[in-house]
Amino acid sequence: MNPSGGITWVAVTNVIIWTGLFLYLLRLHRKVRELEKKP
Amino acid sequence: MEPVRNPLAWLLWLWMVVVILGAFFYAPLAAGFIGQSSRILYFHVPMAWTAFLGFYVAGFFSLLYLFGPRAARHDRAAAAAIELGLVLGVLATITGAIWARIMWGAYWNWDPRQTSIVLALVFYGAYLALRDAVEDGEKRARLAAAYAVLGLVVTPFFFFVVPRITYSLHPEPVINSRGKVEMELRMLQVLLSSTVGFTALFFWMHNLHTRIRALAEAGAEESEAQ
Repeated sequence: MNPSGGITWVAVTNVIIWTGLFLYLLRLHRKVRELEKKP
Repeated sequence: MEPVRNPLAWLLWLWMVVVILGAFFYAPLAAGFIGQSSRILYFHVPMAWTAFLGFYVAGFFSLLYLFGPRAARHDRAAAAAIELGLVLGVLATITGAIWARIMWGAYWNWDPRQTSIVLALVFYGAYLALRDAVEDGEKRARLAAAYAVLGLVVTPFFFFVVPRITYSLHPEPVINSRGKVEMELRMLQVLLSSTVGFTALFFWMHNLHTRIRALAEAGAEESEAQ
């Protein structure tokens, strides 16, 4: 395998994992705010 | 569902994307490391740092609990910080083991660094066991806080003292044994940026985890009252 091509895939996978975690946290943040507003 | 209009959160996303790209395409490979293995540094070290931070944040809130007005929110913040610290500590151990497999030929070598972080994880795992073992809420919070304050003394020993007083194959820390930073500039830039990003991520997750604990406790009290 071309080493630079291999490292690109690892970097892309890292960005995807980070984006997934980030969107999950964002959604959790919204949910917590909603629950806190409930009487 | 109401959107979160938090530009800081999106700034953190962008920051970490830049860190990831920097780790793979900007920072050079470190001398003496096999293949691309030195790139794990930009994730492994910040994970270990935030684990340490979590244990110290827990100690800070525990001190507030013990010497303050015994507020339940401080107890919750301490417990949340230790849980996050444990997760990050486990991730640091796993990434370290992957690196060790490449460099040393085995995932686990009982190197002082590996051993000391496992001892730290066992120490804080016992904190969770302690919390589970005590039913009375106030007594649990008091004992857990005292234990976490003890951690303020024990944790630096595990993270900083043991690996420096014993012979270790582990690469030198960022601030080396001569008290100097001798890392290549671009590597240092990426490492520090990653550490800043992980620190911000830790505080965001800690804030959310503490609030979820408060909601769970309020829910449990409500169902008890019914």
